[in-house]
Amino acid sequence: MMMMEEEREKVVVVGLIEKATNSTAAEVDPRLLKAIKSVVRHSDSELRLAAQTLMNLMKRDHSQVRYLALLIIDELFMRSKLFRTLVVENLDQLLTLSVGFRRNLPLPAPPSVASVLRSKAVELLEKWNVSYGLYYRQLRLGFDHLKNTLRFQFPNLQANAVRIQQERREREMRTREILVNKFETLKETFLSIKDELQSTIDEIGECLEIVIASDEPMPLGLLDDEEMEEFRCSELRRIRLDSLKEGNKVQETSDNKVVFDALRELYRLLVTKHLVSVQEWVSVLTRVEVADNRCRDSMLKEFIDIRNNLKSVKKKCEESGCSLPDTRNNEEEDIWEEGTFESFENRSSVLNYQSDDSSIASTSVKVKNKPFENRNKEADVKEKLDCEDSGTDSDPLRSKLLAEAPLMKWGSFLDSWGSKRDYLANQRGLELEGHWGRIDYDAVIPAEKIAELNVQATLYKEDPVEIQPCHAPLSKGGLCQRRDLRVCPFHGPIVPRDDEGKPINQTSLTEEVAPELETNLVDHLAKQAVKNVRDRDKEKAKQREHDKQALKRAKLAKVREHNDAVLRDAALASTSRSSAIGEDVETAGGERSSARNKKQTLASMLKKKVTSKDRLAQRLLNTHARDATERQLTQGEDAKYREAFPNQW
Amino acid sequence: MWKEIRERESGKLRPNSFSNRIRSDRNSSIQLSNYKEIVSPHRGSVNSLQVDLTEGRYLLSGASDASVAIYDVQCATDYEGGGLLAKHKPLVTIDKQHEHGHKYAISSAIWYPVDTGLFITGSYDHRINIWDTNTTQVVMNFKMPGKVYRTAMSSLAASHMLIAAGTEDVQVRLCDIASGAFSHTLSGHRDGVMTVEWSTSSEWVLVTGGCDGAIRFWDIRRAGCFRVLNQSHSQLGRRPPLLQRAATNKVPTSKSLSKGQSSSVKPRAPQRKMAHGNGSKQSAASKIPSQVKSSARQRLHPGMLSSQDRATAHYGAVIGLKVTGDGMFLLSAGSDSRLRLWDIESGCNTLVNFETVRLQTGKAIQLATTQDSALVFVPCMTSVKAFDVWSGATVLTFRGHYEHVNCCWYSLQDQELYTGGNDRQILVWSPSKWNANELVHPLNFETVFFISATPIPVSLVLSSQHYLVFQDEWLKMGKASALDQDNWSD
Repeated sequence: MMMMEEEREKVVVVGLIEKATNSTAAEVDPRLLKAIKSVVRHSDSELRLAAQTLMNLMKRDHSQVRYLALLIIDELFMRSKLFRTLVVENLDQLLTLSVGFRRNLPLPAPPSVASVLRSKAVELLEKWNVSYGLYYRQLRLGFDHLKNTLRFQFPNLQANAVRIQQERREREMRTREILVNKFETLKETFLSIKDELQSTIDEIGECLEIVIASDEPMPLGLLDDEEMEEFRCSELRRIRLDSLKEGNKVQETSDNKVVFDALRELYRLLVTKHLVSVQEWVSVLTRVEVADNRCRDSMLKEFIDIRNNLKSVKKKCEESGCSLPDTRNNEEEDIWEEGTFESFENRSSVLNYQSDDSSIASTSVKVKNKPFENRNKEADVKEKLDCEDSGTDSDPLRSKLLAEAPLMKWGSFLDSWGSKRDYLANQRGLELEGHWGRIDYDAVIPAEKIAELNVQATLYKEDPVEIQPCHAPLSKGGLCQRRDLRVCPFHGPIVPRDDEGKPINQTSLTEEVAPELETNLVDHLAKQAVKNVRDRDKEKAKQREHDKQALKRAKLAKVREHNDAVLRDAALASTSRSSAIGEDVETAGGERSSARNKKQTLASMLKKKVTSKDRLAQRLLNTHARDATERQLTQGEDAKYREAFPNQW
Repeated sequence: MWKEIRERESGKLRPNSFSNRIRSDRNSSIQLSNYKEIVSPHRGSVNSLQVDLTEGRYLLSGASDASVAIYDVQCATDYEGGGLLAKHKPLVTIDKQHEHGHKYAISSAIWYPVDTGLFITGSYDHRINIWDTNTTQVVMNFKMPGKVYRTAMSSLAASHMLIAAGTEDVQVRLCDIASGAFSHTLSGHRDGVMTVEWSTSSEWVLVTGGCDGAIRFWDIRRAGCFRVLNQSHSQLGRRPPLLQRAATNKVPTSKSLSKGQSSSVKPRAPQRKMAHGNGSKQSAASKIPSQVKSSARQRLHPGMLSSQDRATAHYGAVIGLKVTGDGMFLLSAGSDSRLRLWDIESGCNTLVNFETVRLQTGKAIQLATTQDSALVFVPCMTSVKAFDVWSGATVLTFRGHYEHVNCCWYSLQDQELYTGGNDRQILVWSPSKWNANELVHPLNFETVFFISATPIPVSLVLSSQHYLVFQDEWLKMGKASALDQDNWSD
């Protein structure tokens, strides 16, 4: 009984291994592999048997079988010691069969798999040598032979990893050294730096004091509701807001210009130099690793204090609003502002005197916007959105509306959103004084016209559709990554597939039927189309014939005959050619479907692959195509003749 | 093993048979050594290997890139993997860059049998160089008429220092180190001489194997060869009647002078016995002259019958020769992929069928035998096979080389086998130390404690000096097996 049992189990191992290696996939089926491992793990005799079987499989005259067997060998090799000793005894044979380094024993077909097998074997040998070379002289020998005698290129994984590690360590060391150096210099210059910073801060403080003491903020006028209407358009409003802010600031006059200049200078110094350098020092201090942490910590603390101090001073400067230069690209902006700033200045100054609302002076955007909201109830949601991009109110209705509202792009049409007013055509604030003749100041552009002009134009944007990749399994491993809408030119209609490329939701029956149906349909359609075209051609030809005859009744009978002949020729040619096309499609479709129905097997891998070149050759060199080409050429000659003798058509 | 040690201690087992038993045990477990590695500096195939005969410590290798190297096989130069791997780097390397180095492949490199101060190299550049080991300088060189295939010196010669050289030339030359000249030119072969070997029983007898397939025996004191081995001569022939035999046996002692026709031989027989008068060898040595003295010989020598003169030992060239340690038998390998065992006394082919598969044909190969001549190691293409000398059965197969193996040398002292091949490697095959497990087994003999909380077996042995010898090896093994173990992660 026991013997029987054992016999059966042995058969199981062999069967499992053979099943696992009898596949065209690029990897061993993980479930089978797991089964093999679990079976082999339990008894040594089975492991021996497995080793024997695998070595026999390695002798198979098929690279795919050898490749899969090698993968299994690797799995077991990395796990079982007994297996290692068994494999190592015949390592030279294994390498001969997997690397194929002996000239009289090259790797078998198919060549693509053979090259994969070779590179995999070389890679695995290196792996084995790294992990177990110390214990098996044979591994060292084999590795050495391939590397030093046969000069195989090994991936050299370990050495690379070590090198990268080394490089990283060196880099880190260097940065650490640099940091320590910096720290040392900082320790020396710490006091002077602090003094410098302090002096700058002090100077700024003094300047600010002078400025604030010398000027009183001017009273601001309140905006009327009517005027509000006028400034509804967002640009104007922005200008207004700026001006309101400006209003709170100290105005620069000729008296305090010197102070302002100094302040500006100091501010620039503060922002461009001191803040940056302090930030840098802080980062240096946080990263540096030195023996005395105490010193470092105290310095760090001081620097952070200084930084906060600097920030507060900076903020103060900004709040004091001494029209500080933008630190980023002040040069450019200065130049650009020259022209436009004047016009704004006029208006904003006008506004300043009118506005009286003290709340507007506050810097917070939200608070500023509240009064607007209250005042223009009729202002639509869109505008609100524009005004306050960071709306914080928790009004449910509003949020609901927001959710419903269409998202619009910003454009000039938003200025007159929802308004049905007529516009005065010639009153845009430009006093042109009739240089071009008399001006009708009351000219009005009607609301419809405005609406027409403001018609919102949007580009149609297609919804991005994710085209699913084909995902059919490829012979060389991996999945087909082609993205086609319906039909992949290599793998047929695109169906949902699982990770291994097997179609989901389709039983084998439907799978087989579907492509047939499809091809039938395609054929049918193609034939129908060809027929339609042919009919139409015939009709047209007849029609033309009639016309010609009607028109050129006076023509000579000879010419007419000739024309007839030509027409007949043309009709004939078109029919035969298009019918040929139809046939072609038919035959090609039939072949393809049959090829697809056939399951890929190990034997099929050995067959020569039909390349696109072959297919093209088949297409181009068949008799239909040749005849068609000839006909085309002769037709070309006909056309020439016709051009030369136009009266003969 | 412990049982045997105890038996030896109590006197039940004689020391000689004890050591033989241990040796044969160890021989049967020879395998590729993992802990001993010779770092070969050669860039060409290794053609010749020899461990010196005096200390059994220095391995000399000659390779076809005209380089010679000497290794210490007892003491490693450095260790790897935490002492697990002993690397033996060459102590001396001589290559083409040396001012007196050989130009072409070295076919043979041998030690001067008396001490390690000299070694001799023969090369395809027609030269034989004699080197001083310590200064690595050429102290003498001989210009040969053709490529040198093999050189040999007699390990038991006390009265001559002759190097026998087999070359492309048909003549075998004996180069005298003492005078620096050729002392003998032995003619007889019809083609180049692939291999030469001195008898291990008589310092005067030389055996040569040629490309013509003949194996010739030479007594260097006399002109011409005295025997040609014939592969078809396998029967001892009719024995002489008992009485007559007794009479002939008495002849050397009683009627030595009365035999007129053998006067040229007789006076020297006692002289030879004097020359190497140590016990066991003498019997074997004395058999040769008795054979020489047989009736057929008188007609054969010096002008042997042409039919016998043309006898061949192999179809094709004779590529390897090895005389067994007792000098009674000769093993020969031929390019016909046959290995033959010859009874030297009668010159018979013993017809032992060695299960060789294939031998490489182009080159001379170097055979090796164990001390008791139980096993012969033969390079068979990429592997080395150990055959039972008497039955011809394959006992062990050593697979490790990736190219053809050219030479092997068996170290009597360590029971280790060194092999060199075309893949430029020199591999060490040593008795497996794994049977150290056996040492632990008999708990009744010694008290052995295992502290085996970890998979590393740490054994503490309280007594037994024998055990202590193995202990550090055992620990080494323990370390090795600890890391090299099963790892079923799932």
